[in-house]
Amino acid sequence: MLELHGITLATPQRTLIGGLTATVGPGEVLVVMGESGSGKSSLLAFLCGALPAGLAASGSVRVDGREVTDLPTAQRRIGILFQDDLLFPHLSVLENLLFALPAGRDAERRSVAEAALASADLAGYGPRLPHTLSGGQRSRVSVLRALLAQPRALLLDEPFSRLDMALRQRFRAFVFERLRAQGVPAVLVTHDAHDVPPGARVIRLDDEEPAP
Amino acid sequence: MGAALRPVSAAARRGWWVPAATFALPLLASLWFALAGALDAGAWVRLVADPALPRALALSAGVGVAATVLSLAITLWLVTHLHGTAAWARIERTLGALLAVPHAAFAIGLALLLMPSGLLLRLAAPLAGWTSPPDVSTVHDPLGMALILGLVLKEVPFLLWNVAAQLRPVAQAAQLRQALLTGQAMGYSAASVWWRVLWPQLLPRLALPLLAVWAYGASVVDMALVLGPTNPPTLAQLAWSWLLDADAAVNAQGAAAALLLAGVVALGALMAVAAVRALRPLLRVRQVRGDRVASGGASRAVAAAVGSGALLYGLALALLAFVSVAGVWRFPALWPQVVSFDAWAGVAASLPVLGHTAGLALASAATGVLLAVAWMETTPAGWDERAAPLVFATMLVPGVMLVAGLYQLMLLLRLDGSLTGLWLAHSLFTAPYALVALAPAYRGFDARYEQTARALGRSRAAFLVRIKWPMLLAPLASAFAVGFAVSVAQYLSTQFVGAGRHATVTTEALTLASGGQRTLLAAYALLQALLPALVFGAAWWLGQRQARRLGLEAR
Repeated sequence: MLELHGITLATPQRTLIGGLTATVGPGEVLVVMGESGSGKSSLLAFLCGALPAGLAASGSVRVDGREVTDLPTAQRRIGILFQDDLLFPHLSVLENLLFALPAGRDAERRSVAEAALASADLAGYGPRLPHTLSGGQRSRVSVLRALLAQPRALLLDEPFSRLDMALRQRFRAFVFERLRAQGVPAVLVTHDAHDVPPGARVIRLDDEEPAP
Repeated sequence: MGAALRPVSAAARRGWWVPAATFALPLLASLWFALAGALDAGAWVRLVADPALPRALALSAGVGVAATVLSLAITLWLVTHLHGTAAWARIERTLGALLAVPHAAFAIGLALLLMPSGLLLRLAAPLAGWTSPPDVSTVHDPLGMALILGLVLKEVPFLLWNVAAQLRPVAQAAQLRQALLTGQAMGYSAASVWWRVLWPQLLPRLALPLLAVWAYGASVVDMALVLGPTNPPTLAQLAWSWLLDADAAVNAQGAAAALLLAGVVALGALMAVAAVRALRPLLRVRQVRGDRVASGGASRAVAAAVGSGALLYGLALALLAFVSVAGVWRFPALWPQVVSFDAWAGVAASLPVLGHTAGLALASAATGVLLAVAWMETTPAGWDERAAPLVFATMLVPGVMLVAGLYQLMLLLRLDGSLTGLWLAHSLFTAPYALVALAPAYRGFDARYEQTARALGRSRAAFLVRIKWPMLLAPLASAFAVGFAVSVAQYLSTQFVGAGRHATVTTEALTLASGGQRTLLAAYALLQALLPALVFGAAWWLGQRQARRLGLEAR
């Protein structure tokens, strides 16, 4: 469960977000939409503890009942996915997944990573370097990697916008299905109304009230 | 019409060999002559039999390895803990100024700080009860520690500048921020993300600068003359003294020693590559082990390191000014008994030296920039990579070896001892630096400006003179300043190719370094540092003015 309470973000010139309050349950997606510069990405930066200098913020963030507002990014257990897949190019696909997995017995970690690859129709791709995969395959690996880190919530910063229409539709379905299956609450920032999953609540940053 | 609008015309491309040959032919000829000069069996026999060789060789390799490893470790540590902070932005802004300080001038300043009668031991004297300079080798020490310190203080800014250049492009900077955040969102500390993910990607791109640091550290002569061990000296110093000898047989031994040094540099580089390859699988396992180690608070140590480095730099340069007017300054006084401007009067009396230095630097910097521009106007950007081995040769081949060959070439051309020969020799060193400094801005110039100008009916020459070069005035001026600084700092080529006939502030300063005229030494060293600083200042002013005119401040 991800709880946002009274979040206000402001530049020295204007208030971007004023007192945003919302609760996102396990497997739910809260969609944040708005014009460029409306504060969508700044909201995600605040949620993961990386607010850029020059922005003032107040309000609180709780993950599974734990207050994380003042914790550094590494201790929040809030994962993030960007437009670019950001797979580490010098590590193989399998090593990218191992990087995300918590420490443990080597054989166990490998089998978890390989099972994740197989579940995404990527069995046998483990030894390959990211640049040898197609865009859609890399995007799927980046989602697997984010979820293998066992986040308590996931932030999605326009992760579909770089993909072409056909791929985009399949990738959206893949992401939302994984989030539901693992019960991870998510906040999705997007420009595109097509990205909104059925039944998801939408916040428009011009009105800031969650639609029913 | 399409062909006419191409950024680089077919006709222009045909001319690529002119700048390439102008730079490459003398360079390759010099390398050939250096090799040929060293292929004398007798010289090798004498070299191997020389009792000083084993220790000199070990000193060169040891100083080179220590300076490289320490410089790299400090650079990695500083960037890991400072990148993205306000302190990093401040450091990044000062790197250009630090790089402009010639190695020899800095070494002289550092020597004035560290020597037994230097400022540091004067400060310690009341505590230690010294009334005269203590009998300790704080410079010219047998292990080369002072030389290593000097090299590290000069090479860390160079490596930081290279890291900053890699991370500065907007796309790179954004990707770096997102990669850091991605790793941190998985529970890793920022430092952990740097060590496991970012450095493994960045370090291969620092291979050439690191190689340059290693080659310079192992073969440096000018800094070693001021700070290095003397009995025996490093192999580079030995080779240099043999090359300057009046006896041709000893010269051949010097050429052999220079080639041996080049072999050591190459062998060291190969061993480093082999070690990295052998360690890579182990490091990969470590990178993906999944343990989230909490990062310790390194901020105080980092602040202390940056503060100490800045203090040493500042004191070394300030001492040059201070000592140049310290007429009588008895130990352990902190203030001179007599302030005297005699040294500056001496400098003023030798105006031809200043004239030679500035004239040579202006001419060879202009030549370097001209060659760099000609190369980039006649070749596509991808060719820079092909030219890299030759471009970096002047930075990677030990200076003593290169100038020995260069001298033979000048003898052949009957230009030895002439100003023309010196200008050509200096240009061989300024051109690669000018290219490296200019290429990012020049290659990144928006090709659509040319298409627009050509579509408006302007010739290529008109486009270059009226559009492109005025728009690139700031990077052109910076590249010129870099070339100017490189020329001013030339010691080996000035002494050897000029056959000792044309003194510059650098040759004067290094000649004085072995004598007792401390005020004159400081004055010349300060002048050596001030000349490039003035040109860098002018380039900066020109760049700012142009940015204001073009409304580019925000970019």
